[in-house]
Amino acid sequence: MNARRASTETATRSLPSGGELARLGALLFAALLLQTTVAPNIRIVGASPDFALIIVVSVALLRGSEVGAVFGFLTGTLVGVALLEPLGMSALVLVVVGYFAGRYAETADLSAPVAPLVGVFAATLLANVLFATLQYLLERQVPFGFWVGRVLLPSLVLNTLLATVFYLFVRFVLGGGRVLRADQEA
Amino acid sequence: MNRRRVLQRRLVAAVLVLLSLGLLTLYFREADNGLVHRVQDGALRVVTPLQEGSARAIEPFRDGWNWIADLFGAKAENERLKKEVEVLRAAVAEELTTQAENDELRALLEMQRGRIYPDDVGFVPARVIARSTTAWYSTVTIDVGRDDGVQQFDAVVNGQGLVGRIESVKASACQVQLITDQQSYVDAMVVPGQAEGLVAGSVTGSVSLQFVAKSEEVKAGQFVVTSGRQGSIFVRGIPIGQVESVGAQEVELYQSITVRPAVDFRKLDIVMVVRR
Repeated sequence: MNARRASTETATRSLPSGGELARLGALLFAALLLQTTVAPNIRIVGASPDFALIIVVSVALLRGSEVGAVFGFLTGTLVGVALLEPLGMSALVLVVVGYFAGRYAETADLSAPVAPLVGVFAATLLANVLFATLQYLLERQVPFGFWVGRVLLPSLVLNTLLATVFYLFVRFVLGGGRVLRADQEA
Repeated sequence: MNRRRVLQRRLVAAVLVLLSLGLLTLYFREADNGLVHRVQDGALRVVTPLQEGSARAIEPFRDGWNWIADLFGAKAENERLKKEVEVLRAAVAEELTTQAENDELRALLEMQRGRIYPDDVGFVPARVIARSTTAWYSTVTIDVGRDDGVQQFDAVVNGQGLVGRIESVKASACQVQLITDQQSYVDAMVVPGQAEGLVAGSVTGSVSLQFVAKSEEVKAGQFVVTSGRQGSIFVRGIPIGQVESVGAQEVELYQSITVRPAVDFRKLDIVMVVRR
């Protein structure tokens, strides 16, 4: 029984069903609209919430690293198109974030209610470091103190505060979570 | 089985990372009519109406949010404005003493009457449909593009003053680099007066007037406008802001002048592209 369940899980994880794809598409659309129209209008201590990142992390926590990485790539590319940003920049950041958030879900115990908060906090930190590195390479620089105080810390606080609400929303849209840890499958 | 899945997982991530890096490299290396730019152009045609609709829907909420934020800053703003009025009154009294200064004031008056733009320039009205969400970029997307005759480097203004310039143009939309962007530089001059320099943005959002020699007399409260000198993409006299503070350190060649922009970038909604 357990073995059959494990094999079903494996099959589902490699190829999402049509319904699942539609739900992921709806989330992608929501992430795009929230990130390009709502987020820029909310500025707290100079930072805006990163709805795209929170939704990518939530999807990755519920569906694993592969879906997380693909969802991150698509979200990043669409956000790049809509905001006329250099294409590939947000995609690269969100692929990495989606992948590692998924790996976190596949290796750690997510039953604790703080798991989405930890995931989003760590993802925000990783995304900001990656983004700052890319900007440095593109010769857009920022004083370290300003980056920490006005970019990193406010986004860490904002994103973490929003994490639970969005995680529950994404969980609701996707129709619940999955067993992602290998040791729990068998 | 497990090993295969691990390999597959890593392969997916690696391919996507390479794809992103490839997109990024192509984007910077190719010309504006290259493949990636054209794909972005095409995709933007689909996304723009969605953004327009969402931007309109969210407008009342944004105004409400700004209203609340303004309430918190109203008292401090009031005090600052009172001080500024005093400074301006003193400056105007001084300027009225000589004929040359009168001429300068007349020019200022013309600017305020809106006689800034030559007859041969055209205006394309546009709505802001998206804004950059990171501190690294101060850009907005507007809903006009190549199809409306907009070109790269056209100036963008609103009723308050200079907003920025067109950075990249697509068929149905374009990106405006605001004067607060850290890579924005605008030829500017101080009026009344002769001081000229470059207005530069910064990642912190503050705007400064750079390369003004120490010999030039610049005072808080004076206006900063585009100089429109030969080669500049902006016509002469577009208001940029007001001098907020002036400082100079002995070791520096130039004065350090901070400028308070005329435009309230938080409330940017309708703008005009100045087509030359």
